[in-house]
Formats: sequence, structure tokens, C-alpha cells
Amino acid sequence: MSASSIRSLEYLEGLPGTTFNRLYKQPSTALAIFRRMLPHLAKSFVMALLYISRPMPVTDLEAWVRPDGRRERDNAVNLLERLHILASATNPGKPRAYSLTNPFAASLRLALTGGGDHNSFGVPANVSEDDVVTIPELDEFARRQWEGVLGYMVGSSTGVDLSNSGVELSPGVQHLLRGGGLVDIKGRRVEITQDGFAFILQEVNAQIWTMLILYLQNAERLSMDECEVLSFLFTLGSLELGVPYSKANLTPTQCQMLHDLSDFGIVHEATPEASHFHPTRLATTLTSDAGGLRSSSLASSADANRGFIVIETNYRVYAYTSSNLQIAILQLFTRLITRYPNMVAGKITRESIRRAVGMGVTSDQIISYLTTHAHPQMAKKQPVLPATVVDQIRLWQLEGDRMKATPGFLFKEFNTQADYEAPCRYAEEIGVLVWKLDTQKKFFVTRHEQVAAFLRSRSGKGG
Amino acid sequence: MPKAVKGVLVECDPSIKAIILKIDQDKHDYIVEDLDDQTLVIKESQLNRLKARLEEV
Repeated sequence: MSASSIRSLEYLEGLPGTTFNRLYKQPSTALAIFRRMLPHLAKSFVMALLYISRPMPVTDLEAWVRPDGRRERDNAVNLLERLHILASATNPGKPRAYSLTNPFAASLRLALTGGGDHNSFGVPANVSEDDVVTIPELDEFARRQWEGVLGYMVGSSTGVDLSNSGVELSPGVQHLLRGGGLVDIKGRRVEITQDGFAFILQEVNAQIWTMLILYLQNAERLSMDECEVLSFLFTLGSLELGVPYSKANLTPTQCQMLHDLSDFGIVHEATPEASHFHPTRLATTLTSDAGGLRSSSLASSADANRGFIVIETNYRVYAYTSSNLQIAILQLFTRLITRYPNMVAGKITRESIRRAVGMGVTSDQIISYLTTHAHPQMAKKQPVLPATVVDQIRLWQLEGDRMKATPGFLFKEFNTQADYEAPCRYAEEIGVLVWKLDTQKKFFVTRHEQVAAFLRSRSGKGG
Repeated sequence: MPKAVKGVLVECDPSIKAIILKIDQDKHDYIVEDLDDQTLVIKESQLNRLKARLEEV
């Protein structure tokens, strides 16, 4: 799974069960969650249970997975339970059994086989030929809007003038960026924060999700219904590029959203009063696994999906670009020396990397940025970046790392050694154990839900 | 009865840990649990402040 889907997954898990119930009433939501958020094993479980009317005993489900795949099975089942897709029921006299929760199962069946008048996959609008916006126009619009947002963030910190991009950010977007802690506004100057740096270096799909989650968290303050907003986002993800959709069946909240989302370039509205809208590529790839965003629509202006960065073993960097945004991003971690009409030259130095790390950018982010934007000539080689440069960037970061911090939960005060060992081993098996100390009977895990459930089931059994 | 405590596990060199202990000494508002000479658990809310103070040393 990509970083973006993990991010959205974390957000979803935090929602209360009743919200899920309402969300899953929309077939598009059920389908989007199914295809985007679930690992393959979890998908198999869902598909197997989808058309079974009676609950399936836990032991039967467990028998499908080989003993050595126990960890994956537990993870899949646990994820399904957290997303309120799978529920286990215990009836007296019968073994514990799993079944799919109802709005989800019914909606997914509707989504897969069609039918119903839910309109949850959008209603295409009948508009005259002149009003249809072509796909290249949509891509150009999305790129311009999104680069405008990114340019606003990096612009003033790096001193590169981005004002000629011609995009005026609406107050709502500016407010959102500040509220999400991505930028800090000091007087009239916009300063990018640590989180903002990490954000800039992410791939586009992850950026969009981060932004949309900020938007969701903000939605309640704008007195919009979170559930309505979320299900509309999933609907957007199932629309088709280049097709106009009708606004007639949308709620007022959703019309308001359309307006806000067009600021990001996620949808295109000719005018706010128009009776139809076009989703852009940013919208249609929201819930697909393809993540083909960068290659197709964004990156730099005309030479869309081409890499442009050359790095030599002497740490010199040559970037064939004239996009101010690309240059500004590059300047976050390189010392740029000269700028030519179609190219900038610079050097990666200890200071430039230390400065970036100090602002919260990790060496892995820098390396992955350089790798994905490497010039085709560089990309032919294996490894893409010179090993010395990669190692040195990592070393420069380590220099400043005096400690390793892992958020999570400490389990302690176990009565007996046996009480301690079983959950500790369980935590190791499901892959959440970070640290343990046998002599003091303490261990540290990244997630506590499964371990706590394990402890409860044991104490129930043992009395 | 086992207990679970929320926090951030910090793994570092003994020398760095000594500094953290010293920083904590003033108000005891960083450390949740002192585990061994290379590990301790601190409050999640204090992580950034602790990092900043370590930079100063």
C-alpha cells in the first residue's frame, strides 16, 4: 500500500461505528474502500463471505490460511474489524462466527453487479459539445491549480519568485494550509513548516489525500456533515475523466464542496452557477491503486513525465527545468549556484542537507525525490543515484539524530513470567513489538488494540 | 493486573540518556518510565521539546 492510502486509512479508523454505517450505504464508498484500502488477503475474505448468508465459523475461515500465514491472517481480520466490515458474533451453543456487516455487504453487491437507483457513481450531464472540457485542458487546469498551492507554500521561504504562476489562492485554501500546520503566516510572509516540507516531497496522490483529510477535519467547523463530505470524495474517485457530470442530484453541502475542490484543481467548474462539473485526473485517481498522477498530469509543464535531475559522484546537481516550483523544491536541500534559461546547477552539501533535516525532511524523502525525478540517462543506470551520494546524505542525517523515538504503548506489571511471555510473543508475531525486557517483564508495542484484546481473552479463559 | 501506558520509546546512547535524565531532573515532566541504560519512555507531548533541548547541548 502506498503512503497515501495508509494516511487515509488511519483517518477512517478513527471514525465512530455509526459514521461507518452511514458511509457504507453508498455503493461507491463500499467499492472504494474495498479496492483501495484492503490488502489482497482481506479482499479474498470479503469476496468469499459476500454471498454467504449465514455467518461462517471462525475455525473454517482460519482453515483457509496456511499456519505460516497466521500473521497476515490476523492482520487482515483485524483491519476488517477496525473498518467495521467484518463482525464476529457469538451465539450460545454455536462456535464463534464471522459475517460481513450489512450496509457494507449490500452496497458492495450493488456496486459489483449494478442496479438500484442510488446514483452514487455520479450522473453524467447532457451538455452541448462546446461545454465539454477536453482531457488536456483538464490536466492543464489541475496542474496549474495544484502547482499554485505548492508554489504558495514554498515560494517565499526559498526566495524564488513564483508569483508569475498566475494562480490566486482563495482565502479558504490559505486558511486550510495554515490550520493544518503546513505553513505559518508571520505578518505578510508565508513560512513553510516541518510538516509542510514533508508534504511537498510526497507524491501527488499522497498530497491530495493529506489535503482532503485536512479539509474533512475542517468540515465540521464549516458546518458541513463529515459523512456527506467523505462519501462524496469516494464518489469523485469513481467518476470518469473527461465526462461532464450533473450537479442536479447533489446536496447543498456537496455543491459547496465542488466549489472548494475546484480551488485545488480536483474538479473543474466553468462557473460556480454551471449545471455540471468535470472531475480532473486528481479526482479520478483518488481511489485507484494506479497512482498514475505524477506521470500523467503534474510534474513540470510540458515535459510532463520526464525526469530532469542529474547528480554526479562529486555531489554536483544539474536540473534541466525552468519551472520555478521545481527549482524552489530543489533549493530545499541543495545549494544552487547558477541558473541558466533551461537549467540550474548546484551542489548537495553537508550544510544544505543538515538545513533540510533540521526543517524536518528525512534523508529517505530526499533520496526518493531525487530517484523519482532522475534524468532518463541516470535512470538507465542501476542504482539510479551514485551510491556515495546516497550514503553520504544518510550519514549527514544520522549526524544529527541523537535518539530514535517510536510512539506507542508500554505494557508492564505482569504478575508472573508466564503472564508476560504469552502476550509478548503474540505482539512479536503480529509485528507490533518494538522492545522488550524479560527481567523486568515489560514490553513496548506500536499498537495496543490487538494485544489488549489478546490479554482480555486470556484473562477471560483463565478466570 | 498488567497495565498499558501511552508514550514514546526513546532509544539512544547511554551518554545521551544521561543528558535526558539531567534535563528531566528540574521538573520531572519528560520521563514516563526509565527502562534501562539505553531506553526510556517519555511523554508524547514533550518529544519535540526534548529534541530541541538536546540540540542546545
